[in-house]
Amino acid sequence: MTNFDAAVSAEDLTKRYGSGDAQVTALDTVTVAFGRGELTAIMGPSGSGKSTLMHCLAGLDTPTAGRVWLDGSRHGDADRVELSGLRDDALTALRRDRMGFVFQAFNLLPTLTAWENITLPLDLAGRRPDQAFADTVIDAVGLRDRLHHRPAQLSGGQQQRVACARALISRPDVVFADEPTGALDSRAGAEVLGFLRRSVDELAQTVVMVTHDPVAASYADRVLFLADGKIVDELREPSADRVLDRIRSLESVARGARTAVGAGA
Amino acid sequence: MLRAMLRDLRAHLGRVAMTLAAIVLGVAFVVATWVVSDSAAATVSSGSSRTDLGALVRAKPTGPADAEISADVLDRLARLPGVTRAEGVRAGYAALVGASGKIGTTSWAKTAGTDWDDSQRFALIDGRGPQRAGEVALEQQAAAEAGLSVGDSARVLLGGDRSDTATVVGVFSYRATGWGFDPAVVYDADTATRLLRDPDATPTAEPGFAQVELSGPDERAVVAAVEADLGAGYWIDSGSELREQRAKDAAADGDVIRKALLAFAAVALMAGVFVIANTFTMLVTQRTRQFALLRAVGARRRQVRRAVLTEAVVLGLVGSTVGVAFGVGLGLLAMRLLPVVGDVAYVVSPWAVLLGYAVGVVVTMVAAYGSARRAARVSPMAALRTDAAVPRRSLVLRSVLGLLAVAAGAAMVAVTSPEDLTEPKRMLAMAGAVLAWVGVLLTAPILVSAVLGPLTRLLRAPRPVTRIALRNAVRDPRRTAATSSALMIGLSLVCAFATVGQTLSADITEQVRSTVPENAVVLRAAAFGYLDDTARAAATAAPGVTALAAPRSGGVEVISARGSSQDTEFTSLDPAAVGSAIRPRVLAGGSDLRRGVLLAERVATALGVQPGDQVRLRFPVIGEAGKAAPVEVPATVAGVHEGSDLLRGQLIDDALVPAGVYRQGDSMYAVGADASTLRGALEKAFASRPDVLVQDRDELLDDLLEPYQLVLGLVYVLLGAAVVIAVFGVVNTLALSVLERTRELGVFRALGASRALVRRTVRRESVVISLYGGVLGIAVGVLLGGVMQYVILANPVFGMSVPWLTALVALAGMGLVGVLAALWPARRAARADILAAIATE
Repeated sequence: MTNFDAAVSAEDLTKRYGSGDAQVTALDTVTVAFGRGELTAIMGPSGSGKSTLMHCLAGLDTPTAGRVWLDGSRHGDADRVELSGLRDDALTALRRDRMGFVFQAFNLLPTLTAWENITLPLDLAGRRPDQAFADTVIDAVGLRDRLHHRPAQLSGGQQQRVACARALISRPDVVFADEPTGALDSRAGAEVLGFLRRSVDELAQTVVMVTHDPVAASYADRVLFLADGKIVDELREPSADRVLDRIRSLESVARGARTAVGAGA
Repeated sequence: MLRAMLRDLRAHLGRVAMTLAAIVLGVAFVVATWVVSDSAAATVSSGSSRTDLGALVRAKPTGPADAEISADVLDRLARLPGVTRAEGVRAGYAALVGASGKIGTTSWAKTAGTDWDDSQRFALIDGRGPQRAGEVALEQQAAAEAGLSVGDSARVLLGGDRSDTATVVGVFSYRATGWGFDPAVVYDADTATRLLRDPDATPTAEPGFAQVELSGPDERAVVAAVEADLGAGYWIDSGSELREQRAKDAAADGDVIRKALLAFAAVALMAGVFVIANTFTMLVTQRTRQFALLRAVGARRRQVRRAVLTEAVVLGLVGSTVGVAFGVGLGLLAMRLLPVVGDVAYVVSPWAVLLGYAVGVVVTMVAAYGSARRAARVSPMAALRTDAAVPRRSLVLRSVLGLLAVAAGAAMVAVTSPEDLTEPKRMLAMAGAVLAWVGVLLTAPILVSAVLGPLTRLLRAPRPVTRIALRNAVRDPRRTAATSSALMIGLSLVCAFATVGQTLSADITEQVRSTVPENAVVLRAAAFGYLDDTARAAATAAPGVTALAAPRSGGVEVISARGSSQDTEFTSLDPAAVGSAIRPRVLAGGSDLRRGVLLAERVATALGVQPGDQVRLRFPVIGEAGKAAPVEVPATVAGVHEGSDLLRGQLIDDALVPAGVYRQGDSMYAVGADASTLRGALEKAFASRPDVLVQDRDELLDDLLEPYQLVLGLVYVLLGAAVVIAVFGVVNTLALSVLERTRELGVFRALGASRALVRRTVRRESVVISLYGGVLGIAVGVLLGGVMQYVILANPVFGMSVPWLTALVALAGMGLVGVLAALWPARRAARADILAAIATE
């Protein structure tokens, strides 16, 4: 855990829903760290707990047990914050100032223009945007001529690029992207992924992305594979093919495990 | 399918709660109106009617004074066959002197006294009837106003400047017969005979009776016997005629109350229609996919439409049931609060209940009809889309109609002019104002975009809260318009009445201030009486009076040299007082009454007469035998003045009025070197005159304005119901739009908006909607009021006085409404679960 510089880390993260017989363990003592300046993809089949992991890391959901730290790269070690136990307002401020979000859809407030959506986190904090940095981000997403449009006047890909720009504008410690290309066609998806990649390469941004698309995962520096609430595998410098191979083998293992359980019963 | 819809309705009871509130309030208002007017009529005709009266006999007057029935006649009547009881009723001037030493100010103080008997005339409330000299019984209301109860000592002002002090032994309420008087004070028969007759007015004749009450086992026999005996000089009414008359009068009064209240109920219901329609629109919008699914599985359009209308009927029925119950309770409560003689009769007629249901169901159905049609137009394909929307008619037709209505209404007002405002033209102008008002309601949605849209650009607020709140408010102009329209309806009428009230007040204030000098002391007859010669003499003789105006008015016919004539009024006064103690508002010529008569503007215009012209004044004279030949007096027109309530009609010199001309005055205006010394002197001079009030100009003004303020207060309270309903509408709109925006709020929260910030955003949206409704209501109301005062007073339309205070209070109130209406929706919005909101299905 100390061998690299982490932006976000979690220890023994557990999340259980329900109680008694109906209890479901979504996360099972997950310990993980996400490297600073890296694009990490979290993959796994439906119900593997990948979204839950991200929600817990982002303070959107409260884990049943375990701890999460936001490590504070740009703010120095003094800004290392433990999320568990923070009150709602503190968590809210943390999300606003030190995290960025890109969701699958419904990312934007429909009444605000693209520009207003992008600067919303700063607005909420009462800060003015750094114009030079804002220009960099806007040019990077290629939205300069669309800034005064409302979301309804933008295509799905454009909307998602606005969401990416918004996630970056406050120079957060980490950007969480939850299936950012899930609702896009492959071309628009590629644009968004390319942009996230460049934000890591050019702006040294940390990005954690949940996806089930091997092509999307291939943009990452590192891929984590989740199954049944546990991290079961990891891949560095992935290509789409290698990711796919790994998924197939994981699925066969899972099938084999299930068959074995069936045989044992 | 129907069951599915109804289940749905039950599942969303919270959502329909505000709609129900709107229906309940509207229905309750209507039902309460019915119960109050029925009950009031029934109470008067049953509880306070007399059953012991066979016939009432009154003498027909032969001269100006009331005629009395002599003791001989009473004796004769008592001996008639079939008559078991004959009671002579004495009556005379008697007024209770209050704590201020006067007999009441502008209130309708009762100024009659009578003698006690054990008939149903009196219903004792406390104590007993007076039995000997030094005892008196008081009418309930009069006693309450004077602050007197059994055991106290009461001072009674009697005719001919006498007064009497007696111990209060009883308090009663009086059952009137439809004819006759309403006594405040009752003595025993002997004392009444002694005290109630004014020795100056009728010094000669033997004491008689104001009326004689007869009873007997057979009412018809009594009446027949009396008619045969007395002949033409008397009025004879049978007891049942009187009861019928009283019941009829009561029913007519009840109807007047009913119609007035129903007008206000209609306004409340109109606001309700907007609230209900808005809710249904939102309920339907939320269930678009459900309707599409129904259509996809084979429901016909008509079935969908009927399902929504059935929902409306069910809601209407539920709301009406609660509303009827609430209304009956409200009506009974109101009856308890009304001052009523005897037992209160509560009447809940089946009509009240039926009408309540009819109003509730019909109003809800009318309000829901548009939504039902839109729901039916949802295409089955919408079931497959995630962003399905209910098809909406474009706003173009509605807006064009609205603008046309506003333009036509304005034109209808514009074609009339204040100089020539005949009755049909008044109607036209008023109809135009109402049409324009409706037009504004129709144009409200485009007005929302037109007004709030630029506002969002203007207010480049650094804070996202205001920006988002404003944008949310304009997001669905139709919804915001419907919400604020409901507010506007009540508020605009409040402001219209306030404007009329303010203008009337300003008019009266201006009249009084320009006519009465600031340092004048005003002497006024209390309780709508008149001043007598003694009072005039006392005022003239009071030390320090340098000029005294004692205007007295009567009837006169003014005839021009060309022979055209006007039947009008005159006011006579001392020429020396004109300009000093009172100042007529002279429009042409001079104001010196020694040079001739000052014609009222209206009369001068009608006759085509100018200063310097000759006119003849024809006065009716009351002679000994009742009528006499009118007396004509020639006069020069000295000037023309603007008539006022203080100086009515043609102003002439006291010396010019022929003897025997009837004239009366209720006010005098005195001036002297020092106002406060003068007032002291006059107060002293009139200390023994409880029927004369000594006031300064401002007190006079307060008294004159008080009735308007009372009426306005009542109007505000009644219109309040419409505003309350509209407030429920604001809550509803906010609650439902928060619900619609679950996802958006989730994203907002995820991005770092704190709960407090979310609450603030919703609250600000609410305040924006409310203030918009407020500003619109106030603006439209003041304009409507402008037309109303134009129609009533023939002032120019924009000559109205704007009721700034009312407008400010209303605006502040709307701001508060916004904050309060947002309380619950804002909490809901802040509690929204972020994960549920952003999770994709």
